[in-house]
Amino acid sequence: MSDQELDSIATDLSGKVVKIKKSLLLIVDRSKVHEACERVYRLPGLYHLVTITGMDTGKSILLYYHFWKGKSFTTVSTEVPKSDPRLPSISDSVPAALLYEAEVKDMFGVTFEGNPRMASKLLLPDSYPLGAPPPLTKEADPEKIRKMMELE
Amino acid sequence: MEYSAENLVPFGPVHPSLKEPEYFRLVLEGEKIVEVTPRIGYVHRGIERAAQDRTWVKNIYLFERICGICSFAHSLAYTEGVESLTEFEIPSRAKYIRLVIAELERIHSHLLWLGLIGYWTGFDSLFMWIWKDREHVLDLLEAITGNRVHKSYSTFGGVRKDLPPGIEAKLMEEMMFIRNRVTYYEQLVKSEETLIARTHGVGKISQETALRLSPVGPLLRCTGIARDIRSEDPYAAYGEIPPVVMTSTAGDIESLLTIRLAEVMDSCRMIVDAIRSMPSGPTKVPFPRIVPAGEAMYHVEAPRGELFYFIHSTGAAKPERVKIRTPTLANLLTAVEMLKGRPLADVPVVLTGMDPCFGCMDRVAVFDVDKSKEWYVTGEQLKKLGIEYYGKRERE
Repeated sequence: MSDQELDSIATDLSGKVVKIKKSLLLIVDRSKVHEACERVYRLPGLYHLVTITGMDTGKSILLYYHFWKGKSFTTVSTEVPKSDPRLPSISDSVPAALLYEAEVKDMFGVTFEGNPRMASKLLLPDSYPLGAPPPLTKEADPEKIRKMMELE
Repeated sequence: MEYSAENLVPFGPVHPSLKEPEYFRLVLEGEKIVEVTPRIGYVHRGIERAAQDRTWVKNIYLFERICGICSFAHSLAYTEGVESLTEFEIPSRAKYIRLVIAELERIHSHLLWLGLIGYWTGFDSLFMWIWKDREHVLDLLEAITGNRVHKSYSTFGGVRKDLPPGIEAKLMEEMMFIRNRVTYYEQLVKSEETLIARTHGVGKISQETALRLSPVGPLLRCTGIARDIRSEDPYAAYGEIPPVVMTSTAGDIESLLTIRLAEVMDSCRMIVDAIRSMPSGPTKVPFPRIVPAGEAMYHVEAPRGELFYFIHSTGAAKPERVKIRTPTLANLLTAVEMLKGRPLADVPVVLTGMDPCFGCMDRVAVFDVDKSKEWYVTGEQLKKLGIEYYGKRERE
């Protein structure tokens, strides 16, 4: 995808475009992420959602939606505070996101509103303790969680 | 929609047809499957979390053990991903050798898969014969890298050691052998009635479904979409030796058979080309201990499809975050679509058709009550495992 196409999306949604080597990163606010992903996905050419990555930065969860067109990655990025980890789901316009959002929900505790798989777990066992922090966050201490699950 | 209990058929988590535990909740109407809900996570090992506690080099050994069949694809994606964070130029010879090993792995994976299809269609002879032919490939891998499965061959800066002397002639000879055998299997697949009956028109998906659900690998190519990471975004030596992208328009399991066999033939061709034009020179350059800060997104074409690594480095001795998305997770939704409308008897063939590797798919969370109690895969355990494995092999 060309820089201009992404730049125009960024201007419309008051986001920022960063170029990292060959790939482009579009940083938007969490309220705009659904529209950003939809517009990037529908650009001419064969866009493919690679995956959705979560990362714990300490105070917030950083989310990357990786898209691949055929020459370089285009990533849409947003951030949600840990105090309110909610985002609209993009699975209505990008159906492939269904399982990737479920994975981020399990690992980071981010709820994607509108995704039908939010109620059930994808990867964590059903016996995962309710009070325990999600496993990939910085607060999660594996020893404590094992004790909670009575594995020690 | 509410279904009565008689319609629910649980498939898994431990089931004779599955090599790895999975759970599929199938809802039947009469004999046809109308709804499929997969539940995965039974072989979670917490690898993404474990990677955060290990140094960069130790993680090579961790990531290659995500999967036995596509082990080199994982180690290649990780090592090349980390190399892309630096400005180092990897020697040409190392890139060509990486291509040879990656294609050998593709051959062995596809032959394994075809054997499994033979097995699940009741064609045990095909299973035995193919796995015997596959032994030739595994012997080659062992001769070059020292191991059949977890090769630990790709490392930062190149490959761990050079090709042994005289292996080039052996490779040419074995590629000839594999080509002859695959020619025979291609004819078999076209003429054997049981196979045709179990795979022709079974699990048919359209191109729109593929465009909607983003599958990868042969499952995507069987609907007519010609995408292959090796030609779209070349890594290793694929820029100099590009693959021929195999597609079909049928979208069923039979087309998967023909595509994978054609890919094996093409892999043989690529290995022969690589050996003929192999540059001389070093196979490894010294690489810095500390990886510079940055983010890398790297993907390779594993035998099952696109394998994606996201690596975030803060310049520390250990990675801050490594995210891995394996091809089977991308293909799961499409496989579910393939099952809808099929009778229950098609379940093993269709599920095997997507070439599932659930061990690849279930990573990240460690808290798996079904597996053993030991959570940390410690250095001691990996070392003991290696000693036991070689001890057993020596005694045999």
